This record gives sequence, C-alpha cells and structure tokens, in this order.
Amino acid sequence: MTAIVRTLDDVLIAPAHPGRGATQEYFLNMGPQHPIAHGSLRIILLLDGETIRKVIPVPGYVHRGIEKMCEHLNYRQIIHLTDRMDYLSALMNNWAVARTVEKAAGIEINDRIETIRTIMAELQRIQSHALWWGVLGMDLGAFTAFLYSFRDREIIGEIFEEIIGARLTMNYIQPGGVMYDITPDFADKVKKILSYMKRMVEEYDTLLSGNVILQERLRGVGILTQSRAISLGCTGPVLRASGFAYDLRKVEPYGAYEKAQFDVVVGTTGDCWDRYYVRIEEMRQSIRIIEQLIDDIPAGPTMVTKFNTKIKLPPGRYYNHVETARGVLGVFIYSDGGEKPYRLHFRSPSFNNMWAITEIAPGWRIADMIAIQSSLDLVIPDIDR
Amino acid sequence: MDAEKLIYTIIALQPACRVKDQADRPAIEVAADNLPEIMETLRNDDRLSFDMLLDHTAIDHEPVAKFELVYNLYSTLHGHYLMVTCDIDRQTALAPTMSMIWSAAHWQEREIYDLFGIRYEGHPDLRRIFLEDDWQGHPLRKDYKDPDMLEFEK
Amino acid sequence: MGLVTDRLPGLLEPLPGGSILITSIDAIINWSRANSLWPLAFGTKCCAIEMLMATGAPHQDMARFGAEVARQTPRQADLMVIAGAIVKKMAPRMRLLYEQMAEPRYVIATGSCAISGGPFMYNSYTIVRGADEIVPVDVYVPGCPPRPEAFFWGLLTLQKMIKSGESIRHPGVRKKPVLAAMPQGITADDIKQQLRVLLEKENTIDIEHEANNRSWAQKVDQWTQKS
Repeated sequence: MTAIVRTLDDVLIAPAHPGRGATQEYFLNMGPQHPIAHGSLRIILLLDGETIRKVIPVPGYVHRGIEKMCEHLNYRQIIHLTDRMDYLSALMNNWAVARTVEKAAGIEINDRIETIRTIMAELQRIQSHALWWGVLGMDLGAFTAFLYSFRDREIIGEIFEEIIGARLTMNYIQPGGVMYDITPDFADKVKKILSYMKRMVEEYDTLLSGNVILQERLRGVGILTQSRAISLGCTGPVLRASGFAYDLRKVEPYGAYEKAQFDVVVGTTGDCWDRYYVRIEEMRQSIRIIEQLIDDIPAGPTMVTKFNTKIKLPPGRYYNHVETARGVLGVFIYSDGGEKPYRLHFRSPSFNNMWAITEIAPGWRIADMIAIQSSLDLVIPDIDR
Repeated sequence: MDAEKLIYTIIALQPACRVKDQADRPAIEVAADNLPEIMETLRNDDRLSFDMLLDHTAIDHEPVAKFELVYNLYSTLHGHYLMVTCDIDRQTALAPTMSMIWSAAHWQEREIYDLFGIRYEGHPDLRRIFLEDDWQGHPLRKDYKDPDMLEFEK
Repeated sequence: MGLVTDRLPGLLEPLPGGSILITSIDAIINWSRANSLWPLAFGTKCCAIEMLMATGAPHQDMARFGAEVARQTPRQADLMVIAGAIVKKMAPRMRLLYEQMAEPRYVIATGSCAISGGPFMYNSYTIVRGADEIVPVDVYVPGCPPRPEAFFWGLLTLQKMIKSGESIRHPGVRKKPVLAAMPQGITADDIKQQLRVLLEKENTIDIEHEANNRSWAQKVDQWTQKS
C-alpha cells in the first residue's frame, strides 16, 4: 500500500493546464453603498482570483436631471444648481456659468470682482485638495489623515462662512459680479490662513508622502499614458500627471490669473504617485497665487449690473470653461434669445476622468483599484449631474 | 492658428463644410454623411491636429424637427478650438459614431443616447448610462411628458 | 469624560459595601441605546460631506454623543442618516439597506433633498420627493446643507425620543406621529385641523367667565355687597 501525498497545488491545478492554477472569472459588485464610493458609484468588476480583468462603472445613482431643470430657470437661478454638482469646488462651478453668461451677454466686469473671484477660487482649491488628501489616506487605511485634513478644511471654511454665509453650497459668483463684498479685515485673515496652510502642507508631506507603505501602493500603479489621457478627454491633475501641461489658468487666463506668477505642476509617468504629488504641489502653488493677489485688491463695486436685472443672451451657441479642482468644467449654452437657456450642457470633469479607470485598472488587484480610484479624485454628483 | 486662418484651412481641405455664424468661437457646419471623414481629417491633419474632444452634446430643435449634434474640439499641439455642428433628422435619429477617433466619444455618445434617443451607428456598446435600462422615453427631448415630474415655470 | 446629556436613569442608593441602582429595564435599555447609536453612512451628495464627514471630524465631534462608530454596512448599524438626494434608481437600494438593518432602527433625514426633494423638487424627472416616501423617518433636519450643529440637535432629539418612546416591548412603535407612518384613515389635514381647534380652545379667553371664576372674585363681591 502506498500513501500518496498531495499538495494544495495538486488540488487546484486542472489537468488540462498543467502548471497553472485553475481560477474562475466572476463578477463582483462594488455597489452604490460601499466604503470607498465617494458618493454613489457602482462599479462591477470582472475578477480572476483577485486580479481585475474588466471594470464596468454604472453611474446614474445621483442623476437629478440638472440640465433639464436649467431650461426652466433664468440665468441667475442656475447658479444655485451648479453648487450641487461638484460641491467641493462650488465657487468654481458658479464661475463657469457666470463667465459664460457674461461673455455671451457682453457684461464687462471690473478688476475687483476678478480678484475676489480668483482668491476665493484658489482658497476653495486648497480646501478641495485637502479633503481629497484626507480621503485618500482614509481609503488606503491611514485614518489619521482624514482628521488632519478636516481640521484644516474648517479653518478655511470660516472665511467662507464670514463672507459668503455658507459652508458648502456657496451661490456666490453671479453673472455680473459677486453677491457680497469682502470685509475690511479679509486680507489679514487670509494671510494668517496662508501661513498656517504652508506649515500644514509640509505636515501632509511628512505624514503621508514619505510613508513607505503609501509609496509602495502608489508608485508604478495604474499608469495612464499621455496619448491615452488626451484621447479619453481627461483634464485637470489627471492629465497633468501624465505629462501634458494643460492648465486653463495658464493657457487661457481668466480672472486675475495673469497677474500672479505660478507654475503648472506636471508629472512624468502618469501613475498614482504622480497624480498624488501633483495635487500636493498644486496646493503650494495656490498658496503662492493668493499671496500675490491678497495685498492689492482694487477698489470698486462688487456687482456691475443691478441685482435683479433680467439677463437675455442673444441667440447662438456659447461655450466657455474654467479649471476646477478636478479638471475643466465647460458650460455650453444654446440660447434662442430669451431669459432661459434653450439648452444648457455641462462638460463635467469627473465624467470624463472616470472612464479612464476602464483602461487603467485591468491587470491590477482590488487593493490597487482602490488606490487608482482615489487618485482620480472623482465626485459622483458631477458625473451624474 | 487664429480663427480666420483656421476656417480657411478647413474649408480648403474639405469643401463640404460651411461656416456657422451663430457661435462665439470658430464653428463649421457639416452634413451627417460627411461627418466621419471630416472628423478624421480634423484629427489627422498636421496643421489642425484636433486630438481632444472636449465636449459632445445635442440640441433638440423641435419646431424644425431636427437634432443638432455639437462637438467641441481642442488641439493640444496648436492650442486652437473648433465647434463642429451637424443636423440630423429627428424622426430617424441616427448618427455616425466618433468613438474610433476619440475615445471620449464612447461615453459621451452613450449619454446623448440615454437623454435624447439618438442612436449611433457603429458604437460598440450603446446602452443607457444614467437611467435604468427599462426607462421609457428620452428625458431631454422637448416633448417628453412625465407624470412624476412636477413642472413649474415662474 | 464626554458631554453628559442627562443623568443616569434610576435611583442610586449607596449601601455599606456598594450601591444599588433601582431602575426599570426599559429605562436603562433605552438610555444605553440612545447614547450609543451607530450610524449607517448613507451619503449620496453634498450633505454627506457635512453630515457624515465633517461631524466626525475634530471641530464638530460626533463622538461626544456616542455616534462616531459609522459603519458602511447596514448589518452593523442602527441609525440610518440619509444625507443627500434620493433618485429613482437609488430608491430600491435604499429600501434594501433599510430592511437589512436590525431592529430597533432609526432614520434621520438630513438636508432638504431627503426631506422633500429640495432644490430638485420641480422639473426633475428622477428625484424622489423626500426619503419618507421610501422609509419611515423619525427626525427631519432641515438645511441645505444643515450645519453640523443642526445635525446634533436632530441627533439629540432622536436620543430624547428613544429614551421616552421606543421600548423593547414595542419595537417599531413610536410615540411621535410620523407623516409617512400614519394609521389608515387619518391624513395630515386632519391632524392640522385638530391642532388648530386645540390651539384656539387654549388661547381664547372669555374675560367675564374668567373673572367670575377667580377665587378672589367672590371675596370682592362680598366686600362690594357689604358696602
């Protein structure tokens, strides 16, 4: 009698493929409610063991039909809906619609309005990147990062609350100006915040960027090449991390960006680490922009048109865009001469960035997929509109 | 390239385009039959090289019974923009797909199909994207009636 | 020591060698349930940033009220915080999540989207006008988005409701009427009518009648009749 000793490999290896473990492909649903959803995004993964073969995102769980609603509202009333699309850069969303309407209707705004808008937008960019950094840490297991970044978010939020009155949904930048004027001690408060944030960005670097676990999880993972990024329509830090320096603030300067000197942060390989570090550096560049603009805000009125004037756009097609914290938000308006747009379309940055995951993720494991999705910085209501 | 030279170059290459005047940036209007060919030229020609499709949307002109497709293109090499419009019939609502030329069109066309009902010929995966698969109707059409939707105009 | 919102329910009698706590099981169970709610982080939109993330953050600390253990799975949670708009595609999933929570379970609807549809009430073809069309809601916290302090007011209201209403013997029976869980045959208008009648009755004063019914009124009569 002989006793045959088997190993686990013998059990798993199918006789038809000697030397290869027999695995079966299966679908896994990361449904709309799960820890790293960042909202309500459903992703269906086709997995082979733990390796991803295909990614099928299913958006639409927050689709409220904002574009249809905008056809019933006049141009001032649309602004409050834009806050609710990409709520982390709400002021920049407002600015996109305000800019398109102003350019189309021929409303000229003065330097004070432009400077205030720029400073507020850059403060919001720092706030948005701080939240992204904290959530990235939380997704990858470092919960402390979340607490640090929210502490700093609240400190910047105090300025917004004092001037605008709201913490998250701002409704501040209207076509024709801004809603409220800044307080006399605005510059001092912002300067204190800037010196604080400079120290905090260094702290972010010390806490996460130098961490060997984070570097192992992000370096070399999920590479998006430049040509694929451009063809997919990715914009914002995702495109800049792949090596192409497309930043609307430099390419077509709007607001007061021409007066400030800053660098466009560009990555080299397009992996998750580049997308991570591009945003950390962008925080530093935003601080630099605000420092240059905060001291001389020109005097003037903060609203060029009277508050409740009816804005009518001449008939035609208008398109304009701004650079939000996630990418290029474009607004396309087709007007038939009335007070309400006949068709309004938002070119949302997260919608175009999201589909990159169908190209980047296959071949990596589930844990890498979480790192990739966090590094793309998606805000789901912006995808669904 | 500035706007006039751009339009001149495009019309010289492809005489089947006409200039569109009701737009705030250089715009051309194309017929649906010539659309794939013209878009290929726009991307491949060295002086034009429109390699990024920023936005693709549609407008429902219900009184004249046609849909208008609008493409916003950008060239990363030269830094110029172009708006391309194309009218298609509202009854049949068929259009050629651009997803072979720009990958971004793959999903932007799915969104237009979902909300307008325009079907793209040659699209590899034409499914609804935001609404459920068994949703009746296409919401962004002007004649969309929904009893659940509380219509309110001020 | 955290924030103390109430006293220990019951009487504490010190005895030689220790103390005795005299209470009822209902009171002590409700007290412990209310002070350690585990929220299910059901955030779809902007309210999630304020209600779920910012309240767990250092400046506004939800751990003071015992509710910082926010779970992502409904099996381990007993409080569903609906933060965000509900659309028709999400509604069945939300109902599924609600039914997966074990009883006793509570629901707080935060933000105007979850209360009534919010800014998307008109002209939107996918919105569900209020989360209470799908799940029964205990507490509504208005705002767009509500401040974290408003959310804590709602949380404390819920804690008060639990301590006074919900008990282990009657799970699912709530002492406060919730519009979505009203008994058959009664509408909101009926309740408003009853409230109006009650208010009018309490606040209408018949001066003659009141004056005559005062205890000193007879005394005054006696004095005036005397003279």
